[in-house]
Amino acid sequence: MKGGTVYFDNAATTWPKPYSVRKAVNRALTEYGANPGRSGYPMALAASRQVYRCRELAAEFFNLNNPSNVVFVQSCTMALNIVIKGLLKNGGRAVVSDMEHNAVMRPLHAVSPGYPVYDVATVFLGDTERTLESFGRCIRPATRAIVCLHASNVFGVRLPVREIGMLARRHGLAMVVDAAQSAGVLPIDMQADCIDYLCVPGHKGLYGPMGIGMLLCGSDRFIPPLLEGGTGSFSASLRQPQDLPDRFESGTVNTPGILGLAAGIEFVKRQGINEIANREMRLISYIYSRLERMKNIRLYTPKPDFSWSAPVLSFNIEGRHSEEVADALSKKGIAVRAGLHCAPNAHRKFGTLDTGTVRVAPSAHTTMAEAGYLCGVIERMAG
Amino acid sequence: MGSMCFYVSSVTNAIRGKELLDKNGIRAHISRLADENIKNGCGYCIFVSSDYERAESLLRSCGIRIRGARKMNDLK
Repeated sequence: MKGGTVYFDNAATTWPKPYSVRKAVNRALTEYGANPGRSGYPMALAASRQVYRCRELAAEFFNLNNPSNVVFVQSCTMALNIVIKGLLKNGGRAVVSDMEHNAVMRPLHAVSPGYPVYDVATVFLGDTERTLESFGRCIRPATRAIVCLHASNVFGVRLPVREIGMLARRHGLAMVVDAAQSAGVLPIDMQADCIDYLCVPGHKGLYGPMGIGMLLCGSDRFIPPLLEGGTGSFSASLRQPQDLPDRFESGTVNTPGILGLAAGIEFVKRQGINEIANREMRLISYIYSRLERMKNIRLYTPKPDFSWSAPVLSFNIEGRHSEEVADALSKKGIAVRAGLHCAPNAHRKFGTLDTGTVRVAPSAHTTMAEAGYLCGVIERMAG
Repeated sequence: MGSMCFYVSSVTNAIRGKELLDKNGIRAHISRLADENIKNGCGYCIFVSSDYERAESLLRSCGIRIRGARKMNDLK
């Protein structure tokens, strides 16, 4: 228990943040407080170097060959908005999975509110071949991109992104991956996975602060910016600079967020992404095993397994709304998220649109004792 | 001692270029652009004091757009 809370809401935001992250945020404000990319005095250049260092770390972490193509944005949602609205600005369609978050579905809806510009592929748990067939069937002459999550933020179901990326490449489509639940938890290799645009939150599996995310561009397709403004470059021109990252980074960047994110990436590298994933999967497997033996508990997937799952699970107690269960857990000091998790499509797929689910997500800091406490409380509640 | 100043558009390109040159044994430093001949304003310079041609070739080979170059008499 940390600070009086047993925290299982890590799929929303990881907590606690590592000491190195908190220290880096503090250093950004105390030592690197000048505006990066605008001036030439020592503190401004030092801040710019620290920001660039984070670009290098992220590029290396996701195997992107050019650090300049790492764009800092406010969130994974912002990254998805830039790519989706940019790729479909002049028409065309996208293929999505049947479990997408609203961060994908709402921008797609906004592109053409009266007429859907997307086709929905079915994900079959652990069956790459059928999943690929479904994606393939959705591709039309007007399709410009495949936009899909790497892992469901509700049920942990993992998509075969490498195979889907290869499919996209064969058809000349842009491959856009929403890595909200996977960045820092599942290995991602942009080149081997054929990913053109990787949208990443900083505050989840990469242990950075809120308010920072990244768009990693592995393609030279031209995407127009969502925002125009000051970049510290080509200032005499009214035209937005076209080079990356400036094209998408109008306004002062979030230096505390970026430095915190760099420390978070280093934390994940030190711990080892596979070690973190294995540890979280052991915890989820343990929780699942305990829950499946309890009366009145509903689980929605087979026991989580790395071949098809990320370490996130959802459950319900028969006859009780998910929000009621989360509230009862909260009174016992346990933090979880209930409801629809901004992913109504995933809930529709699993038949939980009316009740929502209670979501449990561990982090690198979660202990087996905390998992045991959670299970004990649920068992008493489920009767 | 003379030096060559390469003008680039952004601080990101300047830092990337400096690191590339450093890794290839060419000492470089960066500063804010201060040249009225460069149109459109605002940018950064990469200064090198030797191997000018190789430096330029390295910068171009990794996709760093050079907006201009100027021989300087004194390394700042």
